[in-house]
Amino acid sequence: MPRPGFVLDVDRSTPPVLFHHGEQLRLEKLPPGRSRIIYPAEPLAALDHPDAAIADALANPLGDSEPLAALLRPGMKLTIAFDDISLPLPPMRRPDIRQRVIEQVLDLAAAAGVDDVMLIAALALHRRMTEDELRHAVGDRVYDAFAPHGLLINHDAEDPDNLTEIGTTERGEVVEINRRAAESDLIVYVNINLVAMDGGWKSTATGLSSYKSLRHHHNVETMEHSRSFMDQHNSELHRSNWRMGKVLRDSGIKIFQIETTMNNDVFGTSGPMSVLQKREWEWTARDRLAVGAMKRGLDVMSAKARRQVFHSWRAPHAMTSVQAGEVEAVHKVTTDNVYAQHLVPVSGQTDILTMGLPYIGPYNVNSVMNPILVMCLGLGYFFNLYKGQPLVRAGGVVIMSHPTPWDFHPVHHPSYIDFFEQVLADTTDPREIEKRYEKQFAEDEWYRHLYRTSHAYHGVHPFYMWYWGAHALSHLGRVIIVGGDRAAVDRLGFTAASTLRDALEMASDTVGPHATITHLHNPPILMADVT
Amino acid sequence: MRALVYKRKPLRFAAAVAAGRLAPGAGAGIGPLSHDDIDPPALPGPDWVRLTPRLAGICGSDLATIDGQSSRWFEPVVSFPFVPGHEVVADVVGDDNADGTPHRVVLEPVLGCVTRGIAPVCSACAAGNLGNCTNITFGAITPGLQSGYCCDTGGGWSSEMVAHRSQLHRVPDTMDDLAAVMVEPTACAVHAALAAGIEPGATVVVQGAGTLGLLCIAAVRRFTAAGTVIAVAKHPVQREWARQFGADMVVAPDEVARAVRRATGTMAVGDGHIDRLAGGADAVVDCVGSSDSLTTALSVVRPRGQVTVVGMAGATRLDLTGLWQREIRMVGAYAYGTETLADGTTARTFDLAFDLVAAADLGRLVSATYPLDRYRDAIAHAAGAGARGAVKVAFDMRRPADRTADAARRSAIPASTQPGAH
Amino acid sequence: MSEPVIRRPVAHRPVTRMPVTRLPVNGRTAAAALSAAGTTARTRMRTAMRSAIPGLVPQPVPAGVEAKVRRRNVGADYDTDWARTYPARVARALLVEGVVRPVMSVLADPTITGTDRLTDASGPMVFAANHHSHIDTALLVSSIPEPWRHHLVVGAAADYFFANRVTAPLSALVVGAIPIERQKVARRSAQLASDLIDDGWSVLIFPEGGRSPDGWGQPFRGGAAYIAMRTGVPVVPVHVEGTGRVLAKGSNLPRRSSTTVTFGSPLTPADGEDSRRFAARIEAAVAALADETTTDWWQARTRAHAGTTPSLQAPSQGAWRRTWALGDRGPTRRSRDAWPRLSGDS
Repeated sequence: MPRPGFVLDVDRSTPPVLFHHGEQLRLEKLPPGRSRIIYPAEPLAALDHPDAAIADALANPLGDSEPLAALLRPGMKLTIAFDDISLPLPPMRRPDIRQRVIEQVLDLAAAAGVDDVMLIAALALHRRMTEDELRHAVGDRVYDAFAPHGLLINHDAEDPDNLTEIGTTERGEVVEINRRAAESDLIVYVNINLVAMDGGWKSTATGLSSYKSLRHHHNVETMEHSRSFMDQHNSELHRSNWRMGKVLRDSGIKIFQIETTMNNDVFGTSGPMSVLQKREWEWTARDRLAVGAMKRGLDVMSAKARRQVFHSWRAPHAMTSVQAGEVEAVHKVTTDNVYAQHLVPVSGQTDILTMGLPYIGPYNVNSVMNPILVMCLGLGYFFNLYKGQPLVRAGGVVIMSHPTPWDFHPVHHPSYIDFFEQVLADTTDPREIEKRYEKQFAEDEWYRHLYRTSHAYHGVHPFYMWYWGAHALSHLGRVIIVGGDRAAVDRLGFTAASTLRDALEMASDTVGPHATITHLHNPPILMADVT
Repeated sequence: MRALVYKRKPLRFAAAVAAGRLAPGAGAGIGPLSHDDIDPPALPGPDWVRLTPRLAGICGSDLATIDGQSSRWFEPVVSFPFVPGHEVVADVVGDDNADGTPHRVVLEPVLGCVTRGIAPVCSACAAGNLGNCTNITFGAITPGLQSGYCCDTGGGWSSEMVAHRSQLHRVPDTMDDLAAVMVEPTACAVHAALAAGIEPGATVVVQGAGTLGLLCIAAVRRFTAAGTVIAVAKHPVQREWARQFGADMVVAPDEVARAVRRATGTMAVGDGHIDRLAGGADAVVDCVGSSDSLTTALSVVRPRGQVTVVGMAGATRLDLTGLWQREIRMVGAYAYGTETLADGTTARTFDLAFDLVAAADLGRLVSATYPLDRYRDAIAHAAGAGARGAVKVAFDMRRPADRTADAARRSAIPASTQPGAH
Repeated sequence: MSEPVIRRPVAHRPVTRMPVTRLPVNGRTAAAALSAAGTTARTRMRTAMRSAIPGLVPQPVPAGVEAKVRRRNVGADYDTDWARTYPARVARALLVEGVVRPVMSVLADPTITGTDRLTDASGPMVFAANHHSHIDTALLVSSIPEPWRHHLVVGAAADYFFANRVTAPLSALVVGAIPIERQKVARRSAQLASDLIDDGWSVLIFPEGGRSPDGWGQPFRGGAAYIAMRTGVPVVPVHVEGTGRVLAKGSNLPRRSSTTVTFGSPLTPADGEDSRRFAARIEAAVAALADETTTDWWQARTRAHAGTTPSLQAPSQGAWRRTWALGDRGPTRRSRDAWPRLSGDS
C-alpha cells in the first residue's frame, strides 16, 4: 500500500534534504523549528493488465458515448491525435502508453474496415517530434505502417491550408484547429494526463490549434487569473478551453477522448536512481553512499556528459487508470485519478518556498533547460502546483535551486535566444513584453520556417513561458536562484545566491529573519492542497 | 630632444614579431622602438614650422607596427628611422597669440603633394582627397604616408617635430587638449561613416568598439540617417559607450548574425544556429579588420550591401565566394579628405570631425595619458585597452605647469571605471 | 567431378547409390526418405566396423541368462538434465552471448521487433516459431529477450540433433536443446517439456516439425499448443524471416544476409478451444507476423481482421509447379551425390 504524501516539520534531527539542481544534486540542511517539507505520495499501484484495461475502457465509455467499436465503420475518416513529447516527464520506458492505446484503437479500426486513418501529434506550438521520438511514442509498428505514407504527422499550426476556423466562443475567442481533424468523422484523442492541467478540452482546443486561437488563453491576463492553472475550478485557462470545447462540440465535431493517468514512479523503486524518490531519513547506508557517489560523479562530469546521463533516463512510471468516452465525463474521472496521486494536504501558507528544480521540464525533453525554461519550471509549474491558495504568501520569496546556465539549444529554442538577448535585456514585465514584442516574434518568418520544417518551438513560445510565470511574478516579493549563473539570473530579473544559507539571508530582507520555510520535495510530482 | 624612435633593426623586429604574437603590446619592450635623445628634424622648406606636441595618441596602426604585425605593404611608404605619432595636438613654435600663448593646432598627418613640394598636385590632392594622394613616396621629403611614418618630419611621440602649414588645424580655445587629440581619429571615423554607403533607414553594423568603432558609431549617428545601428563589442565598458553614442543594439561578436536577423527580420541559413543570413544588414563598418570580423561581415551583409573596411586589415585569409555570389561591395576607408554630405554640401573631413568631437564631447574617450619615458606601460595599456576598460591612451608632452589643470579634469573622467559620468 | 579422396571401408563402396528421385511429392517425404537412407547407411557402417575390429564385436549372451537391456542413450532418450545444471547454464550463457550472438549479428544481421509486446509478460512461455533453416535456432536463442533468453530450452528433433553421442551433448549444451520426437506421438517429449515449464523454463518449439524445404511453411502441428494448454502458459508466436537465404535447407555454406525476427503478443487458449484449433490460431498469428514483416502492421491487422492474411503455406493448387520450379536447386539434388549420405539429413 503506497504511503500518502505528507508534511514533515523540520527539527534538529532531520537529515539534510535532497534538492534537485538541474543535472546535479544538492543536500541542504533546512533551519529547524521554522521549516517544513512537503513529500509526495509514493507511487500508486500500476494497473495489472494495462492492455486489458484499455480494451475495457474502449468498450465501456463514460458519458454520452457509444463504445469505440460502434463508432467505427468502413469508409469513415478517422483521425487519431495524441499528446506530444512534453508528456510524460521524464519519457517513459517502452512501450509508451500512447502506443498501447493507439494500437488498440487501430486494431478496432482495422476490424471495422476503416481505411482513411491519420495520426497527428497534437503539439500546438511545440517543436515537431523527431522520428525517434515519434517511434518512441507510438511504437515502431504504428510508425512504420503510417509514417512512410504521410499518415503520421506532426500538427502544423502555421499551415494555412490545413487549419480551419470552427467558430468563436461567446467571449469572442476564435477556435481554429487542424483541418484534417475537424473534417474527420471521428477524432480519437489519446492523452497522457501527467498533471491536473492536461487533458479535457485542452487536448483538442489547444493541442490541435493555431496561434490565432491559442493567444486567447495563452496570455498574461489569463495566466494572472488562473489561480492556479492546475486547479480547473479556479483556472481561467481551463475555462477558456472549455468554452472552446463547447464550440467544437456544437459544430458537430465528434471526439472520442481517451485519457490515462500515471503514477509518479519516475526514478523507480530499485536501481541507481531509486534513492531520489526515497525519504531522506529512510536512506540506508548504501543509499547515502549512492547519493554521495552520484553527487561526486556528476560534479566531475562535463556538462554534456551529465546531460547525457540524465536525459537517457527512461522512467518506469506506469498507468494507473484509463478512461474513454465523452470529453468532460472522462476528464472528471481523470482529474480525480490525478489528484489521488498528487494531492497533499498542507495547512497554511509560508513566507519562503524552496524548490530544487530537476533537469527536465515539459519543453526540454532531449534538450537544454535554458534560463527561460528554468523560470517557467519554477514559477510556472512548481509554483502553480497548488489548489486553494499559493503555498507561499503574497509578497513572499521563492528560492529555487538550479545552475541556470546561459545555454540554449539552437535547434529547439532559436527564438528563446533572441528573447533572452533582446526582450529580457529590455524588460522582464510580462505585460510590457506581451505588448511590445509578442507580435514581432509570433510573425517572424524565420521562426515560422524553423517551426514548420525543423524541430524548433514556435517563435512565440518563449513568451508563453514567461506568461506562465506571470501569476508568480506578481504574487512574489523576490525570487532567488541558488547556484545560478549570475549573468543569466540577472537577465531574468532575479538574484543569484551561491548557497541556500545565503539565499535565506537575502530572503530575510524581504520577509524578515524568522520567516517560515516550506520545501516542495518535487519531483516526483506533488500538488499542494493548501487550506 | 627626447623621442620614441622606430629604427630598422631586423633582429629586434623579429623579436617584436614573436613577442607581439604572444601578447599584444609586448613588442614595445624588445622591438625596434626605443626612447632616445636625438636631434630635432630640420625644417624641410619655407612653409614648414616647428611643433612642440602636447598630446599624441596611440593608434591601432601604431600598435601593429610596434608588434611587427603590420603588413609588408607599408615598407615602401615609410622611411626609417621614424618617430611614430600621428594623432597630435601641438603648439606651433613662433606662432603666438596676443597673450603670448602659442597657437594650439591639430595635425592633419597625411603627407600629400603640397607638403612634398610637388606642383602641379595630383588629381586626388586637387580634389581635396589628401588620403588618396598618389605621390606619398616622392617629392622633397622622404617617403611616408603620414607624419609619424616619415623620417624627415618626426612624429608626435616626441618633444619636437616639424609640419607643413597646410597640415595644421587651429584648435578653438573652447576645446581642451584631450578633445583635440581625438580629432584625428574622429576624422577617420567620419570619413568611414560617409564612405559606407548608408542610405536613410539602413540597418548598419559597426564591428569593433575600440576608439575607431565607437567614433564610427557616433559619426554614423551624426552624419547619416541610418535606421538601426548594431554595435559589436566585447567588453562591458565598450558596450556602455556604444549605447551612449547611439547604438540600438550592442551584441557580442558571436551574436552578430542573430542580432542582424532580428533587426532585419530576414531568413537565415542554418538549423536554428545561424551559418549566414539570407538577407542581412545594408552596411557593415568593420573597424577590426581581422579574418574573423570580415568573415562575419560578409555573412551578415545583404546581397549588394556594402562592407567598409576601416580597421587596418593586413594579410588575411578570407572566403570571398559570398562576395561574388551576393554581389557585395567591399570598400576601404582610409584617412580623410573632403566629404560630400547628404544634402550635397562639401566639407573638409577635419572640420566635420571638430564638429563631432565638440558635439559628442569625445574628449571623454581619452582614458589615460603617460609621459614618454613610461612608453612601455602606455603601449601595454593601449594594447589591452578594451579589457582594461580604456578607450584611447595618449602620450603627454606638456610642461609640468600645464599639467595640473588637465590632471584635475582627467580625474573627473571615470574612463577606466564607469563611462558616462559626463 | 572427381571423387574425393577419402578412405572408407571397401565393403561399403557398392552399397547405396540412391536412386535418382527427381520429384518427391513434397519436402517432408523427401526428408523422411533421406533420413531413412541415412540410418541404413549408418547401421551398415557400424556393422562393417565391428566385423573389421574383433574387439568391438559384442560377446554373445550366455543361454539362460536374461539379456541386459542396453539403454539407448541417444535420440529421444538422451538425458539432458546435466545441461541445465548451473555450470552448464553459465557455459551456455557465455557461448550464446560470446559466440552465437556476435556470429549471428555478422551472418544474419537480425532486426528484432515486437519485443515490446512481451513487456507485461512474465514467467515461462512457449515460443512457437516458423522454421526455415538450422540457424533459426541459433538466431532465436540469441534474440529472445531477457529474462527468457537464459532460461530457455529448445525442442530439437530427437532423430537429428540427438542422433549420436557427439551431436546430442553439443545440442544440449550450446542451445539447451531437449529431444522431441517428431515421427510419432511423443508422450515422453511432451512430458519433458511440461516438466521443464513447471520448473520455470521456457520452451522454443518449431511446430512445423522440420525445416521448410522450399521457403514455404508447413502446417503447424499441435505440440506447442498442447504443451501450452497442458501447462497453462502463454504461447508467443514468433516469425523468422530471411534465414533461408543465410543457410537454406540442404546447403552447407552460410551466406551473409539480413533477417527479421518478429515477436507477437502472447496467446492463451480461449475457453473451450482444443489444441488443434489453438495450433491453427498460433499458425495464423505467425502468418500475421509474416504479413507484418513483409507489408506493415496496419495492413497485417486489416487483413487479419478480414481473414485474408496470406497463409504461410504454399497455395495448395498447382503445388506440382512449385516443386517443379524447385528443380535442381531443391534438396533432391543431394540424391545425385556419388557417395551415400553417412549421416541423416532431415
